[in-house]
Amino acid sequence: MTDKKKVAILWLGSCGGCDETIVDINELILGVVNSVDLVLWPVALDFKYHHIEKMADGEIALGIINGHVRNSDHAEMAKLMRQKSQVILAFGACACFGGTPGLANLRSKEDIFRWVYQEAPTVINPKGVCPQTTTRVDGKELTLPEMFESVHSLDQVIDVDYYLPGCPPPPYLVLKAITAFLENTLPAKGSSLASHKALCDTCPRNASKPNKVAITEIKRIHEVEADPTKCFLSQGIICMGPATRSGCGESCININIPCRGCFGHIELVADSGAKFLSGLASMIDADDEAGLEKISDQVRDTIGYLYRFSLPISIMNQKKLQSDEVKSDD
Amino acid sequence: MKEKEPKIVCFSCRFSWGYLVSEEDIAARLENWIPIICTGKIDPVHILTAFRQGAEGVLILGCPEGDCHYQDGNIEARKRITLLYNVLQSYGIERERLKLHLGADPEGKTMPQLVKEMADTVRKLGPRSGDTPTQKKSATRTK
Repeated sequence: MTDKKKVAILWLGSCGGCDETIVDINELILGVVNSVDLVLWPVALDFKYHHIEKMADGEIALGIINGHVRNSDHAEMAKLMRQKSQVILAFGACACFGGTPGLANLRSKEDIFRWVYQEAPTVINPKGVCPQTTTRVDGKELTLPEMFESVHSLDQVIDVDYYLPGCPPPPYLVLKAITAFLENTLPAKGSSLASHKALCDTCPRNASKPNKVAITEIKRIHEVEADPTKCFLSQGIICMGPATRSGCGESCININIPCRGCFGHIELVADSGAKFLSGLASMIDADDEAGLEKISDQVRDTIGYLYRFSLPISIMNQKKLQSDEVKSDD
Repeated sequence: MKEKEPKIVCFSCRFSWGYLVSEEDIAARLENWIPIICTGKIDPVHILTAFRQGAEGVLILGCPEGDCHYQDGNIEARKRITLLYNVLQSYGIERERLKLHLGADPEGKTMPQLVKEMADTVRKLGPRSGDTPTQKKSATRTK
């Protein structure tokens, strides 16, 4: 038996990038592994879920969960982790805010299934086969998880103690969070383990921002050769920096790509998309309604810009997971 | 059976709308009325929250163009609203459900009529799908 703190790392609906960023701690991960007892990490270690089920409640000191909750399997595992863990860390934009898959909340589940299994041009499915939660094959019943109506952030399903945003969170922040956990220096429950400033505050181009940004034309980043020294907004390129939490190390800005908002909202902001829209509107320089409409039309996929990572927690979309959605709980 | 009146949330600037009468007087005639000091104070958060809480339409009454008490708050509001239309459309909320009306009525006599006109417009659109924007089918797929 070991007296090391037990840590579990779980992925729900995610791309694997969050697990990859833990690996990207590189050789420092060896120190972490020496300091804790990893009891679950599906992407790297061969522990099974029933090992977790057999553990006592609260036996895991830290449960790190990445990915959003979209189906009954995700919800079941999230609840199991909550039961067995003292501290739950929502890891990455999907767990914290729903992430890019959350944009699927603009469509119904039926619409998504119809497109994916029938209507998409690359699909050939004359029999209209569509996955079912239960299927009988050779007298045996096979089951699949139930897909929910919408994508949920982790805290819409279970109680979350800490948030580490980012798509994915950068390795240095991961290490900082794990170190804080090991040294018992975690902040108050509910905190985000990233900067409290807005990205604009730490952006290397901040000094180039004019006192008043006047946008007369909105351009997409691939349509222009952006000046790598000037504020994107002053160049008419939408950058989510004013409404996004800092801490990413400005990795996108440094390769001349505007901020897309993966670190989510700043403290005390209910809906960062709506707040950014306010700011963007004040920068638009149009004298009349026609000019305003013209610039407005230049913003392609407004909702995709504003809520690229956060639609499930936005004012219009925030929905706690209803218990009746989880059929496996019955 | 009498048709239920659509729920309209009305924000109005106190510098142009009903400043000669008491707030109680207007509130007695208008349900869901929110007096504000400038339409430039209205954030998209407030409008989205109104829709989230079940508003069928949102009417914003601001000062006449060129006559804003705070210089250009009403123009700022117009910019926000124009950008917000795109967001509402994605949620399946028609742009007619959000209207900015610039004008002045110190006694606020026309306010109930403007709300009624908004209600008529909204009634023609039919009911909103409540708080489940994900269920709306109005978004069109681009192939």
